[in-house]
Amino acid sequence: MISNNLFTSLVYIFNNILSPITEIKDYLGPNDLPYKIPIHPNLVHLTIGLFAIGIAFDFAGAFYPFEKRILRFLAFPVTRVGFHDVGWYNILAASFITFFTVATGFFEMLLAVPIEGVKSIIGQGAITTMLWHGVGGVLILFILITMTIWRGYQRFVYRKDFGRQVSWSYLFSGTIILLIMGLHGSLGAWLASDFGVHITADQLLVNGKEIGSILQ
Amino acid sequence: MYIQLGLVVMSLLPALNEKNLPWIDVIHPIIVHFVIAMTLIAVVFDLIGIFTKRSNLFEVSFLNLIVATIAIFIAIIFGQIEAGLASPYGSSKDILNYHSTIGWSLAAILSIITSWRYVSRQNNPNNLSIGFLFVDIMLAILVCIQVYLGDKLVWIYGLHTVPVVNAIRDGII
Repeated sequence: MISNNLFTSLVYIFNNILSPITEIKDYLGPNDLPYKIPIHPNLVHLTIGLFAIGIAFDFAGAFYPFEKRILRFLAFPVTRVGFHDVGWYNILAASFITFFTVATGFFEMLLAVPIEGVKSIIGQGAITTMLWHGVGGVLILFILITMTIWRGYQRFVYRKDFGRQVSWSYLFSGTIILLIMGLHGSLGAWLASDFGVHITADQLLVNGKEIGSILQ
Repeated sequence: MYIQLGLVVMSLLPALNEKNLPWIDVIHPIIVHFVIAMTLIAVVFDLIGIFTKRSNLFEVSFLNLIVATIAIFIAIIFGQIEAGLASPYGSSKDILNYHSTIGWSLAAILSIITSWRYVSRQNNPNNLSIGFLFVDIMLAILVCIQVYLGDKLVWIYGLHTVPVVNAIRDGII
């Protein structure tokens, strides 16, 4: 009886004090956010899309001597400078937007309530996945800014007078970062698809609530 | 005989995982990175290009539009496969229908806009008509609506997420 009482009071403490989210529970929807659709996954489209295509066009600029004949054969009105312009402006835009990607990511991670007892495909639990994704996100922001500064120096200083605006090491680094970004993005995707973070239907199902009345 | 043939065909198809997919994760949301980012940034670069009179930005947005046009067809292929395996429920059926219709329309619209851009660049690559900018902005708005609908399918209805797939398989939804 006493132990039972103790247990219920412990449960009460855990439910009411341990998580800072409980303080603002009343302001949050069933997806644990003050709004219906998370912002971070939408900004991620811009970060990944801009960075990947920026690097791709710098590759296109670097291999321009090989493409020249094909482009001329197709009467395609592009220049080598144009390819490198895309490489520069896209990575510049990616860096700018990624500050907001990381900021919204952290806001939404603070409010995340992942499903308990789930393991991702690489055997990580929810908190491990979130820590890797959070710390990795800041690291990738840092790497992106470094790459942008490096890219800018090549464009305006080091390789100003060269046809090929980027060094091979820049292209190699870009490729490696894209691979890391792919893995990093997968961690984020699993937070949604496996751990049900901020997904209304998943949260309702896990909490045993009636899904029909809200979603039908 | 047809039933047996059907069974043989079915047995050749890959097994579906706990997200009701023949592959690890949804691929459509990855491909659409390149449609969303490239169309939206094209509009941004067009606007900056006009206001700061940097005509080299027009080539940047033209090349980005080409990437978006190629990517949208790949996005549709994967989108159709994954939509076919999504087993939508309730009003997500309607949203999926709208998403498909706008998606196919966007493929046509993007192709037309990109070819229009190609033709107008043949005349004068350093000039961008206000008419094109207007259509450009309309395109960006349509893309945002499309993203919103796709977001609803994932973040509200949880299609292809483990709990929803389980619930559908158990007949709860």
